[in-house]
Amino acid sequence: MAVTARSRRVKPAGGFELAAWYFMRISGLFLVFLALGHLCIMHLIHNVESINYNFVSDRWTNPRTGYIWRLWDLTMVNLAILHGFNGLRQILEEWINQAKSRVLLRTGIWIFAGALLLLGNYAILMFVKDADYLKNRRDAAADAVTVKAGVERSGSPRTRASVVVFDAQR
Amino acid sequence: MSVYRRGLVSRWVEGLRYGGGVGQWSWLRHRSTGLGILLYLVVHIWDTFLVIFSPASYDAIMGIYGGKFDGVEYPLLRWAFRLGELGLIASVVFHAVNGLRVILFDLSPIRAVGAQKELFWAVTALFFFIMIPVAFIVIHSLVAEPTTVTAAIMLRLDLVRSFAY
Repeated sequence: MAVTARSRRVKPAGGFELAAWYFMRISGLFLVFLALGHLCIMHLIHNVESINYNFVSDRWTNPRTGYIWRLWDLTMVNLAILHGFNGLRQILEEWINQAKSRVLLRTGIWIFAGALLLLGNYAILMFVKDADYLKNRRDAAADAVTVKAGVERSGSPRTRASVVVFDAQR
Repeated sequence: MSVYRRGLVSRWVEGLRYGGGVGQWSWLRHRSTGLGILLYLVVHIWDTFLVIFSPASYDAIMGIYGGKFDGVEYPLLRWAFRLGELGLIASVVFHAVNGLRVILFDLSPIRAVGAQKELFWAVTALFFFIMIPVAFIVIHSLVAEPTTVTAAIMLRLDLVRSFAY
């Protein structure tokens, strides 16, 4: 048993690789909760087919809880990109063993990851609700429902009104 | 300095022949699910960036994820994306559960190597324990209108929805 344990020496001795090794474990532990929680909220409690601009803007600009979701998403996106691209780097470095190619590979990966980090952080931090867009959408939906209700002439006025409200909310 | 390096195909075949036991397959799955998740992550950051750049495009893309293109629903597109969604969830769940197994190996290598097979089956069991209800929920929302029992469950879910969003 001691032999097998000794042969599985994967922890790097020091330097950047050791820091990366620790980072993968710690960010992984955080991501278990952040990413699985995110999936649970978005795919099970809600549904891909009901998520749209209205949903996201309400979520991020809610006066009481908005900053919690932004903080959640911010932590998750940063950890996930660094975790993911470091994993990709580790995989590719098993296949690419020339020093020059490795420098090129690392440069490319971190530039790409950095660009994605910028996009993700910018969207989450700088988001402002586009009220005009939502109003236009709501008006268009209400028009469509009014036309439909007029043609079908079914259901009480109250049902029709609630349909309008329901559609407008979506 | 010349280093002998085998070709892609022979490395692949040798990898399949390599007698690594259960750990070999965990390793391969951890890797392939990780790559798959990263691919989706890149797409997902781009599509979410549209929320600030162009709300209309964001809604169009979200429509495609739900099988709607230009307001028209295409069942095949819907099924393809929703089954892809299930695959994504399965990948993340496996990567998470197996990642915890990897951390156990790092905390106590000697004990973990001794219990290697047990840990592999524990990961498999936990994966299915999570994925069976998840698969039921995702596929149920595809095939069935919420009418009887599920409607009641969904009504109660509204309370959860009102603060978890």
